[in-house]
Amino acid sequence: MPGWLKKHKNYREPCSFSDRVFQRARSVLFYLSLLLFFGGLPFILSFALGYKFNTHTLKFVKTGLIYIKTQPEGSSIYLDGKLVPEKSPASVQELLPGVYKITLALKKYYPWRSEVYVEAGKVSRIDKVILFPLRPDLEQLNQAGFSSFRVDNERGEIYYLDQVGRIVYKSSLDGSNFEDIASLPEKFSQINGWEVSADKTKMFIFGPHQISVIFFDDRNDYEYSDSFVYLDYPQERVIKVFWHTDSYHLIVLTNKHVAVVESRPLSKTVNLIELNKEASEAFYDNKRQVLYFSDNQKGPDGTSYNNLYKLELSPELYILERLMKKRGDE
Amino acid sequence: MNKPKIIKRAFEIMPGGLSWGIIILLILLSVKYPVASAVIIITFDFYWIIRTIYLTTLLILAHHRISCQKGEDWLRRCLSLRPEKGWTQLYQLIIFPVCNEGLEVLRPSLAALSKSHYPKEKFIVVMAFEERNPLARNNALVLDKEFSGEFGAYLSAFHPDNLPGESRTKGANATWAAKAAKKFIATRNIGCEHVVVSCFDADTCVEPEYFGCLSYHFLTSEKPHQASYQPMPVYNNNIWQAPSFARLVEISSSFCQMIESMRLEKFVTFSSHSMSFKTLVEVDYWPQNMISDDSVIYWKGFLHYNGDYRVVPLYITISMDVAYSSNIWRTMAVQYKQKRRWAWGVENFPFVACGFLDNKKIPLFTKLRRSFHLLESHVTWAIWAVILVLIGPLPIFFGGKFFSQMAIAYNLPKITGLLFQFTLFTSLTWIFLSWTILPPRPKGVSWLKNVILVLEWFFVPFIILVLGSSPALDAQSRLMFAKYMEFNPTLKGNKVL
Repeated sequence: MPGWLKKHKNYREPCSFSDRVFQRARSVLFYLSLLLFFGGLPFILSFALGYKFNTHTLKFVKTGLIYIKTQPEGSSIYLDGKLVPEKSPASVQELLPGVYKITLALKKYYPWRSEVYVEAGKVSRIDKVILFPLRPDLEQLNQAGFSSFRVDNERGEIYYLDQVGRIVYKSSLDGSNFEDIASLPEKFSQINGWEVSADKTKMFIFGPHQISVIFFDDRNDYEYSDSFVYLDYPQERVIKVFWHTDSYHLIVLTNKHVAVVESRPLSKTVNLIELNKEASEAFYDNKRQVLYFSDNQKGPDGTSYNNLYKLELSPELYILERLMKKRGDE
Repeated sequence: MNKPKIIKRAFEIMPGGLSWGIIILLILLSVKYPVASAVIIITFDFYWIIRTIYLTTLLILAHHRISCQKGEDWLRRCLSLRPEKGWTQLYQLIIFPVCNEGLEVLRPSLAALSKSHYPKEKFIVVMAFEERNPLARNNALVLDKEFSGEFGAYLSAFHPDNLPGESRTKGANATWAAKAAKKFIATRNIGCEHVVVSCFDADTCVEPEYFGCLSYHFLTSEKPHQASYQPMPVYNNNIWQAPSFARLVEISSSFCQMIESMRLEKFVTFSSHSMSFKTLVEVDYWPQNMISDDSVIYWKGFLHYNGDYRVVPLYITISMDVAYSSNIWRTMAVQYKQKRRWAWGVENFPFVACGFLDNKKIPLFTKLRRSFHLLESHVTWAIWAVILVLIGPLPIFFGGKFFSQMAIAYNLPKITGLLFQFTLFTSLTWIFLSWTILPPRPKGVSWLKNVILVLEWFFVPFIILVLGSSPALDAQSRLMFAKYMEFNPTLKGNKVL
């Protein structure tokens, strides 16, 4: 304390209060705290339990609450047409039990409307609302015409197939680096399906009786590779084709067989399974190298049953090669 | 087991039984009746916040009193007292019970004592060594050489090990020293009523004005022999060197003591304290088989004077060492053990309760009130952090789908969070006050430490988890199962003076 202040006529030693004064101050504090506790507790507990104090009737009324969460956040909340001060995520509390009309509105988004039933002492949760934009952010990715496309998420690439111009394009996921990478063979008229190999160097297209493997141009110019591989199935109808994991073998499902064939000219098809059903379905699990397919089987009573089969192709690759070699020799 | 022993065991079981009972009951309620549990938790949270605000206000008042009395020339005040107050006849007996503390701890304590602004010829200093410590004799010799000329009298006492009826406690050592001092005092023809005895922890460094302040309060108090005199302990000796974790715990301990000093009807002696030597002799000295000798001596006085005994707070600080070790885990262990030893003060409850049963002169209301205060403070210590941190979320955890649809399930975390935001203000107050009681930053300690001192308060939730309730629960459980603790001196850090 500066000396000049001590000398001031109005200066009083701050600790001139006796113990008794401090104890009295403490008593006042204590009783105030007690009052605050017992006065505030009923209100806190009633609020927690969902009660509302009605100032007109001077009674506690049990209420419910609505919890609202939207994506994106910040939507205005209208309850029975009245704007609530809070924005989502928010809880609208002290609502008397009953049905409420709720509108969630956010600029540039479609509003969300619904009716919510509020029960006394309970929470009605509206926490899975997605507000969709009025004008979604559209972005054109292709820079040329195309008939169908495939997205490769792992590599971040999109492949476009233009059946009219007979060109294959490729771009990044955002549409950048758009370039043509291959041309389609002239004689191929009807394309029922296509798929790019795992090594991204080639693709196949297939029609009812023919499969063609097209090698991508890797020289980054406009001279397309003209090396196509044609695999013909004049007696059978090709239903589905898959790339095997090695990006070399093709797994072919026809109306008669499950077969494998190498993606090279003059390769011979090996029929692994003979099918009873004409229109089998198939799915190839690339990671596990397993082919799932359906086929019919006749029971002793002559009734036909539809069965699902699983064909492991993983370690059998060399077996396949051996098998194919053996068949080739034959 | 005879009847008094059965009664004593019942009182020993009571605090731990109550604490565990409340915790188990709340857990069961959370599982079976989550709504009821949530109501209790919200009530407790609200009570805790009101209590925190109330206690923080008391802390501000106590801090204000300390600040006001800083720089006070207490010796001048003593000299200005009327002669009949007996200032000239007053002697100060200072006992330092030493367990295995070395010279690096003892030397600064005696040095601080020698710098007292008080006639040192009135000092009778007793260094109370444990005979079992192999270094005791040597240390005694060194200190005797350095300090014997500084005071009116300087004695070294050596407490023999394993005396009948004694445990290895600080109280037993201090009592041995006090008895030796009594003989010495008798040889000097000094009456016990003219001696004020101070029993200090070995690392206690007094402020120069401490004995002036003590003497003034002793001489001007009503019934001075029916009171203990309690200074405010701070842990400033090595606070700049101690790790954040330990520093925070000790600052909080100091604050708790300051708060207690404002609640005179509950105030009990703690750690280093002073009292009339006459009273000490009359109550048969400190307990020789109890760890919490510092508080039991108050209760002995309380029982001896049939409830007409009090603690006079001295708003002057004495500084001790922060307990810490070489790394954070060891420091935590050291702190945990120290807090458990403090929490072992729960042994006071059976002592006091049995004493109240035997004493017919203390009014029943006083007995009930003091017993309740004692029991409540220990039970609250053992359960508050468990309720706030561990049991708080249980209703939501165990409540299931039905409970999650209830308004209270939604409001429980919301209200708890909101209420605890209020405690932020009290935390800011604590941070500010902790700043003001710090000693000046020693040379060689970076200014960044100032920033750390503020930021370290974010460790508080972690400290609450580790040291909030667990040492108290541990101590109470041991007492409950009659696994009595032994005195385990705290590892103290190096002083920087």
